[in-house]
Amino acid sequence: MNNLQFIRPASVQAACEALKNPGFMPVAGGSDLVVKIRNGLYPNLEGIVDIGDLAPLNLIRTDENRVIIGSGCTMNQIINDRLMQDYFPALVKAAATVGALQIRNSATIGGNVANASPAGDTIPALYSLEARVLITNGSSTRKVPIDEFFLSPGKTLIQAGEIIEGFTLLLRKTRGEFLKLGERRAHAISKINMAVSTWNDGRNHWRIAMGSVAPTVLRCREAEEFLESCAQIDEAAINKAAEMAINTAKPISDLRSTSAYRKRMAGVLLKRSVTAIIK
Amino acid sequence: MSNNLIKISFSLNGNKVETEVSPQLTVLEMLRRNFRLTAAKEGCGKGECGACSVMLNDQPINSCLKLAATLKPGDRLVSVEGFNEDPLMKNIQEAYVEEGAVQCGFCIPGMTMASYHLLKHNAKPDEHAIKQALSGNICRCTGYRKIEAAVKKAAERTKANE
Repeated sequence: MNNLQFIRPASVQAACEALKNPGFMPVAGGSDLVVKIRNGLYPNLEGIVDIGDLAPLNLIRTDENRVIIGSGCTMNQIINDRLMQDYFPALVKAAATVGALQIRNSATIGGNVANASPAGDTIPALYSLEARVLITNGSSTRKVPIDEFFLSPGKTLIQAGEIIEGFTLLLRKTRGEFLKLGERRAHAISKINMAVSTWNDGRNHWRIAMGSVAPTVLRCREAEEFLESCAQIDEAAINKAAEMAINTAKPISDLRSTSAYRKRMAGVLLKRSVTAIIK
Repeated sequence: MSNNLIKISFSLNGNKVETEVSPQLTVLEMLRRNFRLTAAKEGCGKGECGACSVMLNDQPINSCLKLAATLKPGDRLVSVEGFNEDPLMKNIQEAYVEEGAVQCGFCIPGMTMASYHLLKHNAKPDEHAIKQALSGNICRCTGYRKIEAAVKKAAERTKANE
């Protein structure tokens, strides 16, 4: 680490070129990476590649029927974006629970996803909105559904020489909720979190995703299908969907919470979010 | 010791500056070592306590989490020292003193930064807004009530002076 290099690439292509060396890590906001370096988690780190100032990564833009959120967009950029607020409330609410104001000015959505923590807050929201991850190697881009992107905690499909360019979401109005349980409101790492998004394109669609209850985020497909089949979502239906979420959750006990508590809370969060959405 | 040094330039407290930093040096370490600006403090070193809060392009950030080498020529960095002559910051600091909000003092540079950002954007914050604005800052003397009272007082006084 004594001879650490620092590279400020002029383009996405140059950044990917530098990142072909597996000893190099990209940095954008730094809120995860700097702590990890300090904690000695990268003993073989040879260099840092600054991708925080690559203009195309720092924008939210629309392209026909899609929205592309650049990986370098900060949490506050997403929270304050009018289009995000109108179309993707689950994502806006998730971004608003990350860290505290100071962190949200630095932390990027690409970093939150690439870090691949089972507790990452924007991840269930992106699942609930059926996001696709744009992975670029500088010359070509591949598009991967978010639920295929994570392999295990900290592990993703990203290869050496690739970065997340952004996320595409279909431009459709959704209603949504994001809830998390932690020790306090600010700076909490979720014991469990849940994102719910719903939209109607002639029929009702529900997408429910939970974090911190398995090595990677889980979709509650049984509960989704059940809610979609309900002509009227009443209290009994919500209770039934909550039972399904409890059965879907496969949590472990760790320093933040116990398996039993997390399972119960999967039901509680489902009830609260669906109730809030249909109100 | 053979660390590569990176030349950076940016605006610090209103002045164009240049310095050299090693790749893993944080903005906080740079402020304290390269510029001897010691108002921003390292409490936790992982972005939870807010004692290192500074303004980057008018937004508060944790300076312990940002690598100095990522500062760009267009970036405007302001530490508490940069607000020495600022009437709003003076008002906040006086209110903190009058309300007895300062105990050990370690969190105060960060607290006043967060208060400043709040009052810049919300001249009449309610209790919830004050708590929300300070939620990224930890005081371990547990003096939150007085800090909140100080922010309220500063808000009232700023309004009265307008």
